[in-house]
Amino acid sequence: MPELDPVIHQPVRLQIMAALSHLGCREQVDFTFLKTKLDLTDGNLGAHLLTLEQAGYIAVEKSFVARKPKTFVALTAAGRRAFEAHVAALTAILKPKGTS
Amino acid sequence: MQPKPDDLQLSPEEAARALAAIQNSRNAMRAAIRAHRGHYHLWLWGVIWIGMAMLAEFRGLAGVHLMPWLCAAGITGSMVLGFVQGSQIRMPVDKRFLGVLAAVILFSALWPLVLRAPVNDQAIFAYSGLVAMLCYVIAGLWFDTYLLWLGLVMTAFILVGLFCFAAIFWWWIAIFGGGTLIVSGFYIRYFWR
Repeated sequence: MPELDPVIHQPVRLQIMAALSHLGCREQVDFTFLKTKLDLTDGNLGAHLLTLEQAGYIAVEKSFVARKPKTFVALTAAGRRAFEAHVAALTAILKPKGTS
Repeated sequence: MQPKPDDLQLSPEEAARALAAIQNSRNAMRAAIRAHRGHYHLWLWGVIWIGMAMLAEFRGLAGVHLMPWLCAAGITGSMVLGFVQGSQIRMPVDKRFLGVLAAVILFSALWPLVLRAPVNDQAIFAYSGLVAMLCYVIAGLWFDTYLLWLGLVMTAFILVGLFCFAAIFWWWIAIFGGGTLIVSGFYIRYFWR
């Protein structure tokens, strides 16, 4: 039976992982864009991204677009697997014991 | 400090709330991601295909000679779109993919010239379109499956138009070539993922 992931379980990180899981497997999203879509502050999003990055669940890439520094974020394969397992664990809690 | 997995004991109500939060987050992202799909490129190229077909239909050889300019405008437009859209959601450029595309285009352009293949306007257009659709198929295998299916469907339309409807070939290309690109743009904008 899949277990809940304590890194992902925190509500803001759950929100971030859910949003990133909707991207294609090679797609990256801009930090500012993600911040706006999730209605978070720079500091809040940055801190949670750092936790997720340290867990190996996301990859952060800094680059320049039109000479401006940009930070792009993407889900790693391990992150996608961990998120899917977390969702499966949540779903399993909803199901009465003995059903599959 | 993160709680240990054993410490995470959720009630069904809490689990339901977490799943609802996931769904809300995904819904918010879905709309944003759909706005960044390749539909603008498909609409642009759909219009260009229709333009090329109509030029050939109504202006004959003079119209055919204008096709490379329309293609150049399309490539420039696609590059601008890619730059604008890539500032928010992007797919990193894969050098190996670009190498494969360059090899396909180079070889496809080179061998007919070397072999002096007999061609007419329709065959040249169909051949160029088939090479472009081969690039779509490769991009579909590499990145996103809708391009694979679009490449295969367009390939079938081009071949059917060339071999079965030569008399109305340019109208066929405008409707089933350009039209398919535009309709598929709407599909990925509003229904894909």
